[in-house]
Amino acid sequence: MKKNNIFSNGKYSKQKNIFFILIAFLIVIIFYFAPTPAGLSHEGQVMIGILIMAAFLWITEPIPLAATGLIVMILQPILQVRETKEVFSSFGNQAVFFLIGAFIIAAAIEKHGLHRRIALKFLNFFKNNPRFFTLGIMITCACLTFIMPEHGVAALFLPIIVSILIAMKVVPRQSNFGKVSMLAVAYGCSIGSLGTLIGGARNPLAVGILLEQTPPISISFFEWMKYSMPIVIIAIPLVWIVLQFAFPIEIKDIAAAKKEINNQVNIAGKISKNELLVLGILVLTIFLWILFSQPEFSQEFGQFYGLAVIAILGSMLLFITGSISWKDVEKRVPWGIILLYGGAITLGLGIESSGAGRWIAEGILGLAGDNIFVVILAMIIFTVILTNIMSNVAAVAILLPIGLSIAYSLDINPLLAALLVALSGGLAFMFVISTPGNAITYSSGYFSTKDLLKAGTLANIICILVIFIVAIGYWVGILGI
Amino acid sequence: MFKSILVPISSEFYSKNVIERCIFLAEKFKSNIKLIYIIETKTLDQTDKISDEYRTQYEIEETKDEIIRRQKQTADDIIFDEAKYYFESKKIPFESQIIEGEFSKVVKIETSKKDYDLILMGFEKECILNYRLLDNVEIPVWLEGEGKGKSILAVLSNLAPNQKVPEISLKLSKKLGWTLHMLYVVDVEDSVEVDEQGIRSDKKPLRDLIFKGQSYVDEMKKNGANIELVKGSLEKETTRFAENINPNLVIVGREQKKKGILGLPTKNVKRKIAETCQYSILFIN
Repeated sequence: MKKNNIFSNGKYSKQKNIFFILIAFLIVIIFYFAPTPAGLSHEGQVMIGILIMAAFLWITEPIPLAATGLIVMILQPILQVRETKEVFSSFGNQAVFFLIGAFIIAAAIEKHGLHRRIALKFLNFFKNNPRFFTLGIMITCACLTFIMPEHGVAALFLPIIVSILIAMKVVPRQSNFGKVSMLAVAYGCSIGSLGTLIGGARNPLAVGILLEQTPPISISFFEWMKYSMPIVIIAIPLVWIVLQFAFPIEIKDIAAAKKEINNQVNIAGKISKNELLVLGILVLTIFLWILFSQPEFSQEFGQFYGLAVIAILGSMLLFITGSISWKDVEKRVPWGIILLYGGAITLGLGIESSGAGRWIAEGILGLAGDNIFVVILAMIIFTVILTNIMSNVAAVAILLPIGLSIAYSLDINPLLAALLVALSGGLAFMFVISTPGNAITYSSGYFSTKDLLKAGTLANIICILVIFIVAIGYWVGILGI
Repeated sequence: MFKSILVPISSEFYSKNVIERCIFLAEKFKSNIKLIYIIETKTLDQTDKISDEYRTQYEIEETKDEIIRRQKQTADDIIFDEAKYYFESKKIPFESQIIEGEFSKVVKIETSKKDYDLILMGFEKECILNYRLLDNVEIPVWLEGEGKGKSILAVLSNLAPNQKVPEISLKLSKKLGWTLHMLYVVDVEDSVEVDEQGIRSDKKPLRDLIFKGQSYVDEMKKNGANIELVKGSLEKETTRFAENINPNLVIVGREQKKKGILGLPTKNVKRKIAETCQYSILFIN
């Protein structure tokens, strides 16, 4: 009996979780009762305690990430840092409703298999050469994350690429072509998710927190793309080159892959009426986002709707046309991320309004100096490190209020800090636990954790430099933010 | 000697060397082979947990089913297909099966169902397997490594009963035609003695252990064995000595070295040896 129990570690895991929860609450208690240092209010000190507690729970994960988000919310009124009404009003932020609308649109795309058709169409262009094919995987993944969440794209690509690898008789873990193909899915999704507000939930989170600033900073769908797309366009080929160097491809003939792609295209058949309908609504929604989510631009058309109204309008059109049902929404809209999101916004606002952010920023600047280049580089590096060891939304939630406070202290544009943190937060390349995309592709068995760490470290270094150069040269130098 | 061999392959990693070694042993010992491909549920659970907030339960299940389907396809169309080609061409009897579960648990259940003489498997440091089975099965476990030499290194110590290792090493050396080197390690980190039943004694003075070890070595030398005595850590000395003689196989007995400090769980000794020693290792349990 005892011998059989050797294989069960559930009890140990439960004890470990309780231990982590106790430590988390102990952190808050210590911050609540400890003497307040000069320059920091008691509320600020408690908010720092809540911030550290949230970071600890988001890293160790003894409870779901969303539950931590809810704890962050309720602790603020309980500990009398902010009023209940104020805390829960964060859920009224239009970025939350943008996210809900975007998830419903993505659900319709997934339901009708439109994403699969687009993926196969794209891959078809790259089936002539093994190296080119892996670049094709990255580009296709990136393009799909412009219209749906990155994790859904990784889940879509897993069966497509594994079928191709099996058809090619590529042996798991032993073939560099197999490794590069799977890593291309993981990294293509991560990099592509920076491109639009839909790819990663951290992007609308940044937009949401910026909207709550005084004065509010509004970022439209198109404006976001204007800032982020150069990073995507530069990073994709560079990371692809990194993969080619890290794992030189041994395969010369790709005929079996071509056959398998053609086979999958044939199975997909002709585009259905429903797919066309979803595609039409998607195109219309993007068009409206571009025209009517930007105050200055939309003034020319006499109307400004903002991101959320258009997202909800798009999703309502899907219901009206029967392209999606509420059952489908329940199946495919992850409400947990919405709760996590709400917690993240309240955390950010609490940190800022209590003066904790300014106090942390002054401390950091006192230690690191106020050289803007050093501050930008440090912000990128620190976000990349944190996003590799915890949920990327959580990493952005923790660092964004600090980044904004640093920006205010240095008298630089808070938009710059928000972009640095939100975009660097998507670069979780190094570990399986870093992001669902990495975990999904790892489960294919085609690469090891060591392969991921090797490629991920190099890819992270490259992307840190890309963001730094784009930030200095393009955002500050050309766009003047 | 190895009439029935179990070859567990985890979806966490696959090594072609294991199949090649399996063919080599099956030819030498006229063995029956059972090949099992284990779809590692720990990996699937990890993927589920990480996806928890970002994806719905429906989507997570959908992806999990897809992963399992593709892994079954990988096992059938690549791993078993390749093994079948080699086994059939060498007329080696074999059967194959795909099982979902935790590696160590699946292997343990499988060995309780049928009498196997050997478990032959690969080893990879960078994966999520915990290799608990190294300490929890009664039959020998062969971890296939990289060594290409023509010798065997048999490791004896104050921490093991030292009964099966000399016997099996001699038999293997004769059957395979490989030179036999023996090493007796007096472990200075754990100065106890282990008796024939595998029971640890109380702490003993190091000089007593060296004296006993030296007597054992002298006795073996009289019988013509090529044996040396060293002092140090069992795992470090094993790896160091193996690197000097470049063996094809290192044989380690049922060591009973104390596990962890203050009762806290740490990596077991066998796993530590496997992580540092690049050669094939046969753990005699």
